[in-house]
Amino acid sequence: MFSVSDTIVAIATPSGRGGIGVVRVSGSEAASIARRLLTHRGALEPRYATRTKIRLTAPDRGDGGPPARSAFATGAFDHVVATYFPAPASYTGDDVLELSAHGSPVVLHAIVMAAVACGARLAEPGEFTLRAFLNGRIDLMQAEAVADLIDAATPLQARAAFDQLDGTLTRAIAAIDATLFDLIARLEASVDFPGEGYHFVEPAALAHAIDELRARTEALLTDARRGRLIREGLQIAIVGEPNVGKSSLFNALVGSSRAIVTDVPGTTRDLITEVVDVDGLRVTLVDTAGLRDTQDPVEIEGVERSRQAVAVSDLILVIVDRSQARPALDEIRQLSGYKRLIVSNKTDLPAAWDDPDAVGVSARTGAGLEELRRRIVEALDVDLLRDRPAITNIRHITLVERAHQALGRARAAALAEGGAMSEEFILADLSVAREALEEISGRRAPEDLLAHIFSRFCIGK
Amino acid sequence: MNSSFDVIVIGAGHAGCEAAHAAARLGAHVGLCTLSTDTVAHMPCNPAIGGTAKGHLVREIDALGGLMGLAIDATGIQFKLLNRSRGPAVWSPRAQADKKVYGRWMKATLDGSPNVEWLIGRAGRILVEHGRVVGLALEGGDACVCRSLVITTGTFLNGLVHIGPEQHPAGRAGEPPSRDLAESLKSFGFEWGRLKTGTPPRLDRASIDFDRRVADGRFIVERGDSPPVPFSFASAPIDRAQVDCYLLHTNDRVRDLVRANLDRSPLFNGQIQGIGPRYCPSLEDKIVRFPDKERHQIFLEPEGVNAPEIYVNGFSMSMPRDVQEKLVHALPGLEDAVLLRPGYAVEYDFIQPTELTRRLETKRVSGLFLAGQINGTSGYEEAAAQGLVAGANAAYAARDSDGAGLELRRDEAYIGVLIDDLITKGCLEPYRMFTSRAEHRLLLRIDNADLRLTPRGRDAGLVDDHRWERFSARKGRYERNLDVLDTTMLRTASGARLPASQLLRQPETRLADLVRQKQVPLFELGSSDASFDIASVETALKYEGYLRRQMSEIERARRNEHRRIPSDFPFERVPGLSREVVQRLRHVRPDTLGQALRIPGVTPAAVAVLGAFVGRLSAPAFNS
Repeated sequence: MFSVSDTIVAIATPSGRGGIGVVRVSGSEAASIARRLLTHRGALEPRYATRTKIRLTAPDRGDGGPPARSAFATGAFDHVVATYFPAPASYTGDDVLELSAHGSPVVLHAIVMAAVACGARLAEPGEFTLRAFLNGRIDLMQAEAVADLIDAATPLQARAAFDQLDGTLTRAIAAIDATLFDLIARLEASVDFPGEGYHFVEPAALAHAIDELRARTEALLTDARRGRLIREGLQIAIVGEPNVGKSSLFNALVGSSRAIVTDVPGTTRDLITEVVDVDGLRVTLVDTAGLRDTQDPVEIEGVERSRQAVAVSDLILVIVDRSQARPALDEIRQLSGYKRLIVSNKTDLPAAWDDPDAVGVSARTGAGLEELRRRIVEALDVDLLRDRPAITNIRHITLVERAHQALGRARAAALAEGGAMSEEFILADLSVAREALEEISGRRAPEDLLAHIFSRFCIGK
Repeated sequence: MNSSFDVIVIGAGHAGCEAAHAAARLGAHVGLCTLSTDTVAHMPCNPAIGGTAKGHLVREIDALGGLMGLAIDATGIQFKLLNRSRGPAVWSPRAQADKKVYGRWMKATLDGSPNVEWLIGRAGRILVEHGRVVGLALEGGDACVCRSLVITTGTFLNGLVHIGPEQHPAGRAGEPPSRDLAESLKSFGFEWGRLKTGTPPRLDRASIDFDRRVADGRFIVERGDSPPVPFSFASAPIDRAQVDCYLLHTNDRVRDLVRANLDRSPLFNGQIQGIGPRYCPSLEDKIVRFPDKERHQIFLEPEGVNAPEIYVNGFSMSMPRDVQEKLVHALPGLEDAVLLRPGYAVEYDFIQPTELTRRLETKRVSGLFLAGQINGTSGYEEAAAQGLVAGANAAYAARDSDGAGLELRRDEAYIGVLIDDLITKGCLEPYRMFTSRAEHRLLLRIDNADLRLTPRGRDAGLVDDHRWERFSARKGRYERNLDVLDTTMLRTASGARLPASQLLRQPETRLADLVRQKQVPLFELGSSDASFDIASVETALKYEGYLRRQMSEIERARRNEHRRIPSDFPFERVPGLSREVVQRLRHVRPDTLGQALRIPGVTPAAVAVLGAFVGRLSAPAFNS
């Protein structure tokens, strides 16, 4: 655990050279660091980009000796755009200073060290976001979303992460939670005020209300599968007989000569993988050794690895050579248990046979690749364009599952044979569901159950 | 100084009586200070004990060796088990008391305790040396020495009674308030608040022809259970004639009268500042806040077998006397009823219970304990429960018992829930117990209150030998009965043979039926608590899945409950906590991370940070 009250600094842009690079400072010293490092006179106007220059003030080492020597030791050394966000309206909730300089690692490093000399500390990984969470700027779900957004490798991943950051999922969960809360309040009222002479929730209405809640957790869970695909991506294995053009197709989909292509059957011995973006999906494409009986120990191992890759893949592309006689490989038939797509390669050559279900491509000319991509997405059955929040995080999925199961138990109790169970049993499970949902956002809702009851019902004799 | 005690208890209401009794049971020499022994365990409002969740509290007080359950069993005039149609976890006993007889029973019982001495007089100044209680000065009189002091003054601290525009300082109607004591308490710097409560008018029983009103359909008779379920695990079966109560409803005339006279109600014209209980709204409140509700329930309840007063339950108000008469006469069937005493509202001071430790001792003055309405609660049962805990801990504190004390957890007793809520959240309105406040409700039942708490009471020294033997026998029966049901094979409807314990998991199979039909011949029943022998065994089997899940939830929560925060922990030096959070933490001084998490406004994130520092750094080694 590190301290959360001092001032931290880090380079916010990726390492390496770039047009610009950003250094971020967060903490109570941010304004004083701006004053000491920038040539700008007076205070920076909050939330305005100010063009100024940065200099390295020679830090006083405190021992009376000469200041540390540096090529930048005195005077300005870069133009920067400085933006100051006073607390609490900043990313972290602290005072924040953002300095955009030219993207030279040397310059950026020097700025960081200058800030450190002014009293800042190098930030730990994720510390800016941690502060935002601790300062109540974002909830746990949003903090997790920041990490996902930064790691996004495809536009869809970025979209799902941004939805979460923007609070779409937070609101979806909160809406379920609010309905659940109201139901709980009414059931509690029936238990605690039995003398009031009326049922707050009729048993039939209760089962119906629970069903509606379950439909919503169910939808989130269905969505979770899509979310996982978006976040973690999928694996597609390319299999087929030797020399049907698996590696050529792999290279065509990857867009570079990643795999070695020769006319010699069995050229590919080990698995070759590459991550590609297929219509926004993050796909790990695996090129496998051709499936054939062989005595070569290296090739035997390669075929075994191919089988393993097939077993964990979300989709198999079975490549066949359309210019040759139709294959009848046992190995390919054994793939019937998997989700697969038959790709007939070499459409640039005269066809020896035809299969209406197969996707015709020519890895050599690139013909049919667009259609293949479309069919891949279709075969994966990932409905990418629905405008609903995707749960992508395993923690969230586990908690929504816990809530969903608890609702299932509550429903069973409400519809128990021989009459509904009494409210307190149903409430035991509804409370578990509510706790799970509230754990997702990392916050227990502050509403007072009894306050809700009293605002709605005239209670008390 | 002419008299010396281990413990002085100020006030002989429901909290004071239990406090004095518990302290005396622990061997303390107790002075019980009251204005008059005529009002011991008085019921200034509803002449009834128990109700949902309150009945649980009484059973727990009883399981810990307290008096309230025995008192109401001995003097009740109508008994009902509420929520009988629901599961056993929310069954709650309630009984009408003969209020005069109840008070006399309590006084006689305390008279019979050799360690309790009456101190008749008005408590004045609290004597404190070096931050510790050393005695109590009576108003206009003597000072007494004591080592611990328990204050249970109910509504008497700066009490102000309102009847319409009439106001007079009083703790209850006709009894002067405690002013010197209030001054003395205030000098310690406690955080104070002001609350309000109220009571309905009393009618002359002789002026109401109940039989005729029942016959003409104006009143509905409300009868007690037969046979009654006793409150106490130690009571013999109750075989006593019960009185009837009557139900009627308000009408449009009542509504119109209230609306026309709102400007004369101190509750609505600004005369009363204190906050009243939402769960026990005054008539004015009901009419104003729920304009769509056509009628409200009113119960007519006799205050004793032969008492002349009828309590008009649901009709509490602070209207002027003439309006009250009109309102009573507007009720169907009460056209000729005679008003004996008007209803009234009373405002009083209370100390924010966040000033207290889990033992109900104040954090500012050691040896000073508070219990009952002074802590912001309402209800005789809530008061009695606190009285027992405060009294026991006052006795411990008086004998320097090496930090020993009585502290109950949320997962073992409603009393634990009550005290944890008070000291963690404070009060914004009078606090009443509800079953929904207990997160482990299914485990905190009336049938197992003894199994949960009597061993705790025995360890604390509160449970005498007689009760302990009785409990041991009952626990033995419980365990043997579970074995009997495991080994008794029964034939199901389909002809299969199953152990009775399996068969009982089906909702439609009832243990009481099996016992009555002699299908489990070896099942043992105690002489008076037969219904609880059946209930605790049947519940343990029938709801095993639910009970197991709640147990595992408790286990999960215990991780936080077991992470203790030292009492001198410097919250202000934990980096990253907002000023408000630090303020709340410093005020409440939670003893565990679990309690910290329950403080309003303290976020899980703040507790996570706190946890990191509590885990690694003890207070003295803490470097900022």
